[in-house]
Amino acid sequence: MAGKIDARLKELGIVLPPAPTPAANYVPWVVSQGLAFIAGQIPMQDGKPGFVGKLGREFTIEQGQAAARVCALNILAQLKAACGGDLDKVARCAKVGAFVNCTPEFSDQPQVVNGASDLFVSVFGEAGKHARFAVGASSLPRGVAVEIDAVFELKA
Amino acid sequence: MPGRIEQRLAERSIVLPAAMRAMANYVPYTITGAHAWVAGQGPFLDGKLHYNGRLGENVTIEDGRACARIVGLNILAQVKAACGGDLDKVVRCVKLGGFVNATADFTQHPEIINGASELMIEVFGEAGRHARFAVGAPNLPMGTSVEIDAIFEIRV
Repeated sequence: MAGKIDARLKELGIVLPPAPTPAANYVPWVVSQGLAFIAGQIPMQDGKPGFVGKLGREFTIEQGQAAARVCALNILAQLKAACGGDLDKVARCAKVGAFVNCTPEFSDQPQVVNGASDLFVSVFGEAGKHARFAVGASSLPRGVAVEIDAVFELKA
Repeated sequence: MPGRIEQRLAERSIVLPAAMRAMANYVPYTITGAHAWVAGQGPFLDGKLHYNGRLGENVTIEDGRACARIVGLNILAQVKAACGGDLDKVVRCVKLGGFVNATADFTQHPEIINGASELMIEVFGEAGRHARFAVGAPNLPMGTSVEIDAIFEIRV
C-alpha cells in the first residue's frame, strides 16, 4: 500500500531517482536522535553530474532552479532510504543548506534555491517549510551549478 | 587508564593538537541534547597555521588532503573537550561541512575533504562514517586552504 507522501509524489508526477552513491569517503545520510542529516547532493542525473557550469556565466536563473530541483529530488531519494522506504515517517523538513556555483557578481541565490524549497513544500505541505541558507560558492565538486544538504525531523 | 579511542590514537601515532580558542565572538563548540556542534576549524598545529593557499592555484591535491587531515585533528581536539576529555563518549560522527579555498574552476573538493573524512573513520571505525558537504570558497579566514565544521553525537 502506497503511503500518503508516495501518493502525493504520484499526484505531482514525481518519480524519485535511485539514491546516488557518495562521490567519496562518506555516507549519504545519518540518522541521529530523530534527525536525518542528508549529505550534500549535487544534480546527479542517470549516474552523471548534470548542470555543469556557473550561474551568471553558463546558466540562467531558470536553469539554476531546475538544477536545485534535481538536487532536491536526490535529497528525497536519500531521505526515503533514511526512513527505511517510508516517507510518511518524515515529521518535517528542518533546514536546507544551499550552495550556488556562481560568478562573484551573481546575487539571485534565493531564487535559484527556491527550485528545491518549492519542491519540499509541494511534497510535504506545511511540514515542508524549512529554515535555510542560500549562498554563492566560488566552485563546487565536479563543476556542478548547485549543491544542497538538508536536515529532516523523523517521527518517533 | 587510557580509553579505547585514546589507545587507537596511540596505536596510530596520532597526536591531537591543543584545542584552539575561538578566533572571535563565538565558542569552539556547543552541546545540545546529545549533539556536540563544533565550530569551523582551521589547520593549526601547536598554535601555528599550516597550509595557506588556494587549491587550483598554489596548493596541490596532496597538500590539500593533508591540510584537511590537520583540520580533522583540530575537530577531534574540540570533540574531546566537549566530551570532558573522554573520546569514548563519542557515539558517532554525524556530519562534516567542508569548505575548500579554491579557484573558480576547481572541481576536486571531495578528494580534499577526504583527508578529514578518512581520519574520522580511522579513529572511530564505522561510527566515524558521516554525512557531509564539500564546497568551494573564494577565500577563507587567514587564507587557510580548508575549513570544516562538524556535528557529533555523544553520550552525555
